[in-house]
Amino acid sequence: MNQPTHVLEQGRRDLGLSHGELWFRYFELGGMSTALEVEAYLYGALIPTTHDGDLIATALNERSSELGGDHPIPYSDGG
Amino acid sequence: MSESPDAASGFALWVGVSANQVVVGVSGELDVATAPDLERLVGALIERGHTEVVLDLADLGFLDSSGLEVVAHLSARLRRRGAVLKARGLSERTRRILTLSAMGGLVEVEPPDPAALPPRSEQPTSSDPTTADAAPADRAVWLARVTALPAEGDAIDAALELVTALVHATVAGADGVSVSVPRHGRLTTVAATDETIAQMDRDQYATGQGPCLAAADEGHRFHIDSLAEEVRWPDFVPRALDGGIGSILSTPLLAAAGPVGALNIYSRTARAFGPPEMSLAALFATQASRIVAGAGVDGTSEAAANRLQDALRRREVIAQAQGVLMARHNVSAEAAYASLRRSSTRADIPLRDQATATVASTQLPAPSTGSTP
Repeated sequence: MNQPTHVLEQGRRDLGLSHGELWFRYFELGGMSTALEVEAYLYGALIPTTHDGDLIATALNERSSELGGDHPIPYSDGG
Repeated sequence: MSESPDAASGFALWVGVSANQVVVGVSGELDVATAPDLERLVGALIERGHTEVVLDLADLGFLDSSGLEVVAHLSARLRRRGAVLKARGLSERTRRILTLSAMGGLVEVEPPDPAALPPRSEQPTSSDPTTADAAPADRAVWLARVTALPAEGDAIDAALELVTALVHATVAGADGVSVSVPRHGRLTTVAATDETIAQMDRDQYATGQGPCLAAADEGHRFHIDSLAEEVRWPDFVPRALDGGIGSILSTPLLAAAGPVGALNIYSRTARAFGPPEMSLAALFATQASRIVAGAGVDGTSEAAANRLQDALRRREVIAQAQGVLMARHNVSAEAAYASLRRSSTRADIPLRDQATATVASTQLPAPSTGSTP
């Protein structure tokens, strides 16, 4: 089960990441989608695969850890 | 040595040279701190034989008595050569100050010449007095347009070409000028007044020696007063002497993060450059630095390239770790990735560190020689 995409977009805003910066972090984690596609996932214009949704969640959660927070974005497997 | 532009007051000078006149633009505050820069710059232009000098004051924010004094000095120097200091773009306030100080007669106010300059309406950053401290890239484009450089090609390179031409036109004793900046990780000449000068730069890159490299590397000025007596850079100096060069002044281009290149001035005569030339070079180096830093041809794009390489390396390690887990647990790529992510969450470390650890766990200790199994 995927995260609702608005959770990802809200997380991006809360963590102060630009779309470009989030894409870069997603790419660093092995993501294969383009920056435009990732932006479309966040706006709900495209549906990410489970794997892509988890990669975006990972990028956001790692950013949260950098800022001293916990992992606010849920993964598809709840883990 | 004073620096210009001055960040605090938004003070900046720029220069456009056309066939029959020189336009010097002044933006920001012309006061006791900045007026000497204007005097030095315009004074040098006059010394170089330019008599058609126009001050463009459209972006002038503030003018105090020391600014007025400099305008009076410059006017007097031009009069002695039978010429008149001209000004344009005066605000009502500036006009009033000139009149009240009985200096109205010292300056000939001229309307903007549409043939020499683009209409100011094309220049949103220049036409709005509230944005006098315009972005350097905008200023660079403006500089390029002033001299009607070809519209095609890189505007930044064109602006740097212009800076070299201006230094050549302004600095006494300058027989050739170049600007070097790092491109693709190597110092490269992006503008040079002629081929001999470009070759002088190339000789420095080839030998790994010379004032240009030293200035761009160490971030301070390097000066060869007399090449015949120079003992530093023994591989480069003979080549420069063969090229007929007598002295060299290399001034670093400085950005917030450090040096981003060098402005190199070459002279055929020894001892061509003294303190006035050095401070003029510093003025132009500041201008070139802004162009370079604004364009991101320096560290900015290098940093981006480095970051991309790091990202690719990290992706590679993550892919390797995925492969290890797929083989170890006989699972799909995505299941392996999910397992990697869960481990990293449990250990509270970034996924890339978890991946590095997973890859490392497969590596056997190095066999020690001389031991028996």
